[in-house]
Amino acid sequence: MTIPTGQFIAVVGPSGSGKSTLLGLVAGLDSPTSGEIRIDGREITGIGEDALAELRGVKIGIVFQSFHLIPSLTAFENVLVPMEIAGARGAAEKARRLLEDVDLTARAHHYPSQLSGGEQQRVAIARAFSNNPAILLADEPTGNLDSRNGRHVFDLMIEMNRRRGATLVLVTHDHELAALADRRISLRDGRVVSDSGDAGEAETARDEFEAEGLEAARK
Amino acid sequence: MNFIFQMAWRELRAGWRRLLFFFLCIGIGVGAVVALRTVIRNVNRAMMGEAQQLLTADALVDSTRPWSAETLAKIERVARPPLVEARTEAIEASTMARPADDTREGAQMVELKGIEPPFPLYGEFKLQGGERFDHAMLEGGGAIVAPLLLERLGLSVGDAMKIGETVYQIRAVLEQEPGAGGGFRLGPRVFVARGSMEDAGLTGFGSRARRRIFFKTADAGVTELVARLRAELAGDLVNVRSYRESQENMSEDFERGENFLALTGLVVLVLGGIGVAGVTRVFIEQKKKSIAILKCVGATGKRITAAYLAQTLALGVAGSLLGIALAKAALVYVAGRFAASLPANMSYELSAGAVWQGLGLGVLISVLFSALPLLRVRRIKPDILLRDRDDEGPWWGRFDLPRLATGALLAASLFALAVWQAGSLRVGAWFLAGLAATSGLLYLAAWALVFVVRRARRVGSFALRQAISGLHRPGNQTRVVIMAVGLGAFLVMSVLQLQSNLLDELDFSRRGQLANMYLIDIQKDQAEGVARIIEETTGKPADLVPTVRMRIAAIDGRDINLEEVREGRGMLGREYVVTYRPRLEQNETIVAGEFWGEEPSAEPEVSIEEGMRGVGGLDVGTRITFDVLGRKLTARVSSVRKVDWRNSRTGFLVLFRPGTLENAPQSMVGAINGPVDAQARARFQRAILDRYPNVSVIDVFDVVRSIGRILGNITLAVTFIGGFVLLCGTLILVGSIAMTKYQRVYEAAVLKTLGAKRRTLLTILLAEYGLLGMVAGAVGALAAIALSYAVAKYMLKIPWTFEPSVVLGGVAATAALVVIVGALSSFDVLVRKPLATLRGQ
Repeated sequence: MTIPTGQFIAVVGPSGSGKSTLLGLVAGLDSPTSGEIRIDGREITGIGEDALAELRGVKIGIVFQSFHLIPSLTAFENVLVPMEIAGARGAAEKARRLLEDVDLTARAHHYPSQLSGGEQQRVAIARAFSNNPAILLADEPTGNLDSRNGRHVFDLMIEMNRRRGATLVLVTHDHELAALADRRISLRDGRVVSDSGDAGEAETARDEFEAEGLEAARK
Repeated sequence: MNFIFQMAWRELRAGWRRLLFFFLCIGIGVGAVVALRTVIRNVNRAMMGEAQQLLTADALVDSTRPWSAETLAKIERVARPPLVEARTEAIEASTMARPADDTREGAQMVELKGIEPPFPLYGEFKLQGGERFDHAMLEGGGAIVAPLLLERLGLSVGDAMKIGETVYQIRAVLEQEPGAGGGFRLGPRVFVARGSMEDAGLTGFGSRARRRIFFKTADAGVTELVARLRAELAGDLVNVRSYRESQENMSEDFERGENFLALTGLVVLVLGGIGVAGVTRVFIEQKKKSIAILKCVGATGKRITAAYLAQTLALGVAGSLLGIALAKAALVYVAGRFAASLPANMSYELSAGAVWQGLGLGVLISVLFSALPLLRVRRIKPDILLRDRDDEGPWWGRFDLPRLATGALLAASLFALAVWQAGSLRVGAWFLAGLAATSGLLYLAAWALVFVVRRARRVGSFALRQAISGLHRPGNQTRVVIMAVGLGAFLVMSVLQLQSNLLDELDFSRRGQLANMYLIDIQKDQAEGVARIIEETTGKPADLVPTVRMRIAAIDGRDINLEEVREGRGMLGREYVVTYRPRLEQNETIVAGEFWGEEPSAEPEVSIEEGMRGVGGLDVGTRITFDVLGRKLTARVSSVRKVDWRNSRTGFLVLFRPGTLENAPQSMVGAINGPVDAQARARFQRAILDRYPNVSVIDVFDVVRSIGRILGNITLAVTFIGGFVLLCGTLILVGSIAMTKYQRVYEAAVLKTLGAKRRTLLTILLAEYGLLGMVAGAVGALAAIALSYAVAKYMLKIPWTFEPSVVLGGVAATAALVVIVGALSSFDVLVRKPLATLRGQ
């Protein structure tokens, strides 16, 4: 399976079908028992924990279903951390801008426990984009949110991703969201059962979605 | 780098409450070590400073019998310029003084010292009224006396007193004598001219006069002089000493207490370390998710570990500063409470060295003990964020190279610490071996417990079954709790067991009826008369014991040489005061061979004390040749005795069977409990002295009383320190249990939703913690028995007795404490609404 640069792909399938495992493997969070994974043509299986961590730091942003912010850090610091790890310059300014992008400037110095679920996920999205990753991985990013907040967060993520042109791998249960992707992959019992590269269908769905989004913005 | 410090700072800011315990552990550990070391060092220094002054010379030769012309010639050959710059000779004897005016009452044992110019070689006389000492004061029957004598005999300067049959005039009163530095004194000091002592016959046959020749050497000559004198005088029964060795002798008495203190400091420090390891472990456990997130956003295991290590360092420094403050407070307390029983010139200041040591120790312990748990950071897999899987890989994966290396480093550093703190390689090794063995034992016990309970699932009660499954559930804390609690219990019980033994050793009241008066130098024909006076005064029959003085000249026909004398633990070169009797005393038991029968035997037969066994090959069947004032006497060792010195009024290392010594030159001694009233004691002494002027009465009433007071203080100090260790141990126990509770919270919440009542939950908790506490306490107690036995026997060299109260109480207290702390720390589990817990998870 190959995912071209800049593609938005959705991975769907029932519980236990291996969606999260696939995501974890792509992110280098886990290593495969057989087979191999390449990112930008570079083999990442067996390159060691630390090398993987560094790769994630600069190339991959991850958004989790249950947010996974560091509870002892403020929203601002949570966004700042990946840049500090990578030793990026102007990190504080960039973190401020990212929080602005997700509309959380006012809540920048709150701790995760003081934020609502939607707010926490927006911080997580800002964090995921902090090092301008080439790949964004999202594991049920709206799964823990009510539908209104979920829509808002999803909207934000797609919007930010489009501006940066990153490859997006979305794991989801939600067929409505999956329909917006360039390509859908269905898994069952750890195997790919269908891979629709049907760009046309996705194109239409995305247009519809964007129209809705624009309308929502106008209101 | 920036990330590491930023991260460390932010984590500290958010999590300092959870790390408060870490801080306290370091603080208490460092505080104990700094305070104890400072006390030890300052006491040592105070005592050392007294040593050279005490000897009043660089080196000396001393003997308990008159110098033979031969010996003097040998000394002459070595001790001459330029090696020796000055020398002087003195004679010391304990004897009785009384007013020259026979109508006045009173008699007093004095320490008589006959001197000649240029005494003293070091130090100086301080006389009352600011008078300058001049040897001329002693010429023509002059004496300089300690103020106590004037007080006891009611005399003043210018009065005359009689010592033996010689009359001396008191010319001045001592304020301080050269070489005065405490030590055991039988009576007030009296200085006279050496010539007058010889003339008065005070140094004749049978008196215990000690002759000393003092030397002052050129700068570096002490060692050479001592070595050459020893070589030259190898065959002579004299002692050669330098002030350096005299320091060592002094410290030896002190070593026992010092070792106990140092060991206690080490124990507290290790307890602190265990606490630190526990906190770090739990801390990392709780931070698992944060660590996984950091890994997801690109942090390497190394950098995360470094961030937490930086935190550890900061806490180590802060904890050490707290410790140093605690030590300062402790010293202020010690100065106020114990100043009376510590050397007078002792300082109670914390030295800069001690402060730096404390800081270094605190940081070292923080880093060392947190290193192993911190290494787990590397094994936390970031994919726990995607799923609820808690798998750190197979068990052998835990023993990878960095972990093994850290373990080895920890062991090596602990060893170095133990050696340094205990001041001996052997003791350090013992301590570490004890710790390692106990850890191993505890790990095995934990493993066995898990193994057994896994097979005991079919228990009737639901609560018990839950408790048991709690012990072996995945991610259980059984090993951690058993290790931490067990080690804590082990260390605390070791100290308490030792303390109890040390206190037994010191316990004055158990020493039976100590005599407070001794009568010595009673001649055989005076025995009856003296006994009558004693009976009249005390109302009890007098028990006078014959004594003969002798030295060991040869063992199994082989002359003892100098080498053996030096290696013989002071058992061979010395003079023995021996007695003969047909029976054992109450405080004696035979440990080898057979004691003789009631009837005298013409064949010389002796029984030796346990401590002499093995010295120069001495044992049952050995033949010892004694030198009894020049006459040789060979006796067979027929038994070895153990003497309980605590219960002895008089004690003899060598005991003869009646039939041999009856006609040897001998004198009698008597140990009695004299009247309590000071006047009555003085009258009694005078009554003896008027009729038998050669008899000396040693009144140790004041000594006995002051020993009691000093021992009381030491007892208090030891108890205090033991209590302190107990407190530290409890604290660490509380910490290590309270920190494992987070595991139980979730489980309890789930059980509640399934309908479990609080009662059931409480029973589960009690059963689980009770089992843990009992196993940990029992293993700890077992190991404590072994360690305290080894330390008592080989390090403190005191008899060891099993203290069942410490062991049983210790196990019970450990179990109770674990249960109580466990129940209390889980209290919120019982009262909290389950939903909050489940949501938070």
